[in-house]
Amino acid sequence: MIQTYILNKNHLSFWLRQLKSAHELIAPWRDASGDIVLTELSRMHETALDGPALMPSPKEFLLPQMEQLFCYSEEGIEEAVNKQSRVLFGIRPCDISAIKILDTFYLGKNKDTYYETRRNKTILVSIACNQPDPTCFCLGLGTGPFLKSGFDLQFTDLGDRFFVEAESENGMSLVRDFPHIFIEPKTVDSEDLYEARLASQSRFEKRVNLEQVRKSIQAGKVSDAFWESVAVRCFECGGCVYNCPVCTCFNVIDRPASVDTGKRIRLWDTCMFKGFTRTAGGVIPAEAKIHRTKRWFHHKLLHWPEQFGVFGCVGCGRCAVSCPGSIDMATVALKIKGSDQTEEKEA
Amino acid sequence: MKKISTTCPWCGCGCGLYLHVENNLITGVSPSRKHPVNHGTLCVKGWNCHEFVHHPDRLTTPLIKDGKTAYRRASWEEALGKTAARLAEIKKQYGPDAIGILGSAKCTNEENFVLQKFARAVIGTNNVDHCARLCHSSTVGGLAAAFGSGAMTNSIDEIRDARVIFVIGSNTTEQHPMIGMHMLEAKDRGATIIVADPRRTQIAKFSHLHMRHRSGTDVALLNAMMNVIITEGLVDVSFIRQRTENFDDFEKRVLTFTPEVAEKITSVPADDIRKAARLYASEKRSMLFYSMGITQHITGVDNVRSCANLVMLTAHIGQPMTGLNPLRGQNNVQGACDVGALPDVYSGYQKVADPVARKKFELAWSRPMPEKPGLTLTEMIDAIHEGKIRALYIMGENPVISDPDSTHVRDALAKLDFLAVQDIFPSDTAEYAHVILPAASFAEKDGTYTNTERRVQKIRKAVPPVGEAKPDYEIICGIAQLMGYPMDYSAAHEIMEEIAILTPSYGGILHHRLDANFGLQWPCFGMDHPGTPYLHRKKFTRGMGAFIPVEFIPPAEPTDSEYPFILTTGRSYFHYHTGTMCRRTATLEREEPECMVEINPADAERLEIRANDLVRVTSRRGCLEVKARVTNTVPEGIIFIPFHFREAAVNLLTINAVDPNAKIPEFKVCAAAVGPVRRRPGTRQAPRIGYYEGMRIGLDLYIPPEEMQRRDK
Amino acid sequence: MPTPNIYLPFKTSIRDVKEVAKDVKLFSIVVPGDFTYQAGQFVMVSVLGAGEAPISITSTPGVSRDLELCVRTVGHVSSALNSLTTGDGIWVRGPYGRPFPVNGRQDTLFICGGIGIVPLRPLINQMMNTRAKTNKKATVTIMYGSRNPSEVLFLDEVAAWQDQGANVVLTVDTCQIESWKGCTGLVTEHFGKAKVNFKNSTAYICGPHVMIQAAMRDLSLMGMSDDHIITTLEAHMKCGVGKCGHCFCGGKLICEEGPVFSLEEIKKYNIKPGRDSLV
Repeated sequence: MIQTYILNKNHLSFWLRQLKSAHELIAPWRDASGDIVLTELSRMHETALDGPALMPSPKEFLLPQMEQLFCYSEEGIEEAVNKQSRVLFGIRPCDISAIKILDTFYLGKNKDTYYETRRNKTILVSIACNQPDPTCFCLGLGTGPFLKSGFDLQFTDLGDRFFVEAESENGMSLVRDFPHIFIEPKTVDSEDLYEARLASQSRFEKRVNLEQVRKSIQAGKVSDAFWESVAVRCFECGGCVYNCPVCTCFNVIDRPASVDTGKRIRLWDTCMFKGFTRTAGGVIPAEAKIHRTKRWFHHKLLHWPEQFGVFGCVGCGRCAVSCPGSIDMATVALKIKGSDQTEEKEA
Repeated sequence: MKKISTTCPWCGCGCGLYLHVENNLITGVSPSRKHPVNHGTLCVKGWNCHEFVHHPDRLTTPLIKDGKTAYRRASWEEALGKTAARLAEIKKQYGPDAIGILGSAKCTNEENFVLQKFARAVIGTNNVDHCARLCHSSTVGGLAAAFGSGAMTNSIDEIRDARVIFVIGSNTTEQHPMIGMHMLEAKDRGATIIVADPRRTQIAKFSHLHMRHRSGTDVALLNAMMNVIITEGLVDVSFIRQRTENFDDFEKRVLTFTPEVAEKITSVPADDIRKAARLYASEKRSMLFYSMGITQHITGVDNVRSCANLVMLTAHIGQPMTGLNPLRGQNNVQGACDVGALPDVYSGYQKVADPVARKKFELAWSRPMPEKPGLTLTEMIDAIHEGKIRALYIMGENPVISDPDSTHVRDALAKLDFLAVQDIFPSDTAEYAHVILPAASFAEKDGTYTNTERRVQKIRKAVPPVGEAKPDYEIICGIAQLMGYPMDYSAAHEIMEEIAILTPSYGGILHHRLDANFGLQWPCFGMDHPGTPYLHRKKFTRGMGAFIPVEFIPPAEPTDSEYPFILTTGRSYFHYHTGTMCRRTATLEREEPECMVEINPADAERLEIRANDLVRVTSRRGCLEVKARVTNTVPEGIIFIPFHFREAAVNLLTINAVDPNAKIPEFKVCAAAVGPVRRRPGTRQAPRIGYYEGMRIGLDLYIPPEEMQRRDK
Repeated sequence: MPTPNIYLPFKTSIRDVKEVAKDVKLFSIVVPGDFTYQAGQFVMVSVLGAGEAPISITSTPGVSRDLELCVRTVGHVSSALNSLTTGDGIWVRGPYGRPFPVNGRQDTLFICGGIGIVPLRPLINQMMNTRAKTNKKATVTIMYGSRNPSEVLFLDEVAAWQDQGANVVLTVDTCQIESWKGCTGLVTEHFGKAKVNFKNSTAYICGPHVMIQAAMRDLSLMGMSDDHIITTLEAHMKCGVGKCGHCFCGGKLICEEGPVFSLEEIKKYNIKPGRDSLV
């Protein structure tokens, strides 16, 4: 059951300050250089909700780039679990959709304790996108620009006020204590909400049909020559994976501090690297760049749907920003679609 | 979780990034979206730049050598006291010029400035240099003569709008990935890319024309291109008349250098040279990029002058989207040169030989300044062998791995009366030190870096230094004070103020101006100066651009029947310089865990070498056993070895022949022989032991007493 | 109740270490009584400070008291592991992975190459035991190739299997020892010596990638059905529980859905653990 409220924009800082007393408050903030980053907010009025998709994705708050698994010493192993309670304010609907996919992956079979603890301690407050970026393509995937369910709280900017939707108990707990600022919406608010959503949808510059691309790949219409043309542009930076809100791979290493003590940490890892699959004996299954790029696209477009019923992509467009070779999901998908269509025309 | 805006510590691109800090530990990195260099991207090194900061190998306390090899922990007081006392003793006994100081292209502008001040005001010597000697000293010298300023003339952000991009001797996509990104974008927008490189690098794969000239024949290639431009009338005559001098002399020399002559020397088809010349000359927005492939030769300065001649001939300078763009390798090699960590200049390239400049610094620092330019890095090593230099103070450099002819360097360091090394990790150089001082890494201090496009950017403290480590400038100030010179800065921005006062080109660069818009590009003469995106507008810095005729001189060591291969060295994408940081980064080390020699399939077949076979590479200096990577990247007759690997240090093989002007060693060409290491059939290759273990075995400098007792038991 | 942390290993100790060949050691590891496993599974073994690696179990389930692991020094973790001695602590978690399927077919063919005998050893032992008990006259052929005679592992056991009635074909790549009575050459060159009905038997293959590739191709050509050609694959793994993604191949996670695969599955999913496709 979704509860709806209206929050006057002037009351936002007050509310955020109340949240900060009980949780670590993470929100978009504008750096002196003009970048907007997701960070711990210290001055409430400085939150910047008008920016593009935040880099990297909020995945880092659930699965940090570098995370300690446990410390070890002669006495044994001591598990290191982060129990900090957090509110992620101002993330995007695509991020929520991505976190839902991460949940099925990490909290399905073989629960990941570290992810679980952080996830249970995190409340997600998303803000619907009125101004999608040129790189965004969530519209065709149903992962944005606003969500019908799956959030804790969803805000929609209506100019001078926010339309607030609360779905979960966690979300409710953040607004329940403030009935004086979270007031009941009127009909005009709902009309404005509809208008905002309609306008947002018309602002998308990219339309990507991943289902069509999936079918093309499955039908064997995408040649290795095409993948080679993609792979040659790969800089092997790993940015697509590091920035992807859905990618889950990690590496585990030991950091000895002395002979008997040290810690085991995990780090984000990417399948774009040769060493990712190198066995101890030195065999590298995916040695050529083409195998690695193909593998990433295949995993997201073919294998995620097989395993979980959804694409391993939410259309956030972050890979488009972070790829130095411009071989991001949308570009490659559109190229596949383009070549497919010319083929059809020729036939 | 906090995010701190800072600048990437790896290459000269100077990408903007954020460090993520949770509970005083760095947990991640993310790129800056608005930064003019990286636009929201990072290369693999940038994405992993946080990992080494809290590596357990970090030096956390000062160490003092007791006896021959063992080190013991010492207090700062004792370590600084000992350093100051030994330096003072040696200065007294042998004179100030018996002491050499090495700055670091990895440290901030402020720290290098303080270090050169320490050398000149406290020690009283101009013997201060840093590793720019090994990468772009030819640029600094060559371009100063031609234009009056030795830096990248244009900005990275202009690249995407260029029409022609000519890359010579630079593996841009791998060594300056974010500049490579801009080049690729330019190509997507319709630009033509010309690459001159013996190796078929990634940028060469993108190029429209790839000239694979023989290593060390750059002058011949460039002269022939200019010959075509002159004979085909593609010269910008008005520019030559208005802005340059000495053209006639130069023309006479170049006219003898036809493409056919060059074909014989470079093995590039004459028609390709003609094509390249026409492409480059016929567009107005042509940018020329070069890097180590041009500079690291005994003709390094000549190569740079040839490049300068080429851009002047076609008037591709002094405008946006043109210019001569040396790509500086290290994050702050530009800055370290700018602030005077060089033997012949003060900050801002003010010559020590110039009495006016010297007077200015004497007044500012209230000490008499030595007149004679000091020794360069390569000369210092020789001077140690001759007994002229008795003590060395090294800040964040690793000459044992980075300098040519490693054996020569090691012998020199072992001879020193006193060696102090200030570093973040125990390096191979630190093994020879009498005192090791732990420094703070880029994430643990404030300061500024100057990237290759002259952009002065801030780095900010994200976490406290590990253990007792201190920022480099604090350490130097501590020693200076013990040596009786008042030097006390409470923060990095105070040093920047002093730089601004003494350095015209940094005149308007102060920390508080660097927060917005990702820094300022020098020259920036005053507080209201907006910085300079491209140089030599309206006129050259030195007035008239000087054409300097250049003759072709072959490399120092020609190949012969005994050593038939040209050995060329360089960097790999995943590693960085001597590996002290990158090889402690799990992801980077995993990608390229061991040294490989690249060899052409035809050569490999002839020598019966298969992929991954162990081969022995020998030169007149030494010998190395590494695995073979059989690849078309290198042409026949050339082998390539990266220099990051201490266990396979290619600089054991390189020649220490240097350019007569810049004293830059010829890393790019030496004669070598290759042969397979035959194993008995059926036997296995030795297991690959991780670098990390090797590092710990080799460099376990400090063993805590408890541990010693344990081992004795 | 909180879910147990899947990444935490438990501490145990090494009861015994034997060097079975150059750089190859056999570890007997103390395990609690409730630690059960099946042939073909693997455990994640940690040497704290060096890291964690997946290692095949080589002890026979239900027979051996200890967990036996046979490790050759190839990389980082295995070299650290091989420096351990009796009484040293070691950290283990598992067992993980899908075990070998055992079907009722009469004839069984084992094809092992080098260290590849390790995961097959428990299965061979199990088969020989049931064979002895039930008195069935099923044929068991064991083809085992090594680089040279000194690298033949478990030679005494191989001899015992032969005594129990298995048809053993030993081969080495090269041999300088004159007393060597086995064959020389690749395993696949000696299929003629296998006394099995290829059409009605199951093959279990483990060894270097090229050997697996060649053996599977040849067996398939000789008429063995794809679902009866079974192999176990090696992959880089960091977690063993389907999270880290390193062993992902053709839409399958080798740690969870493998490491045992039949040729049928390999073809279906296009699993490609080596440089080239297996089929």
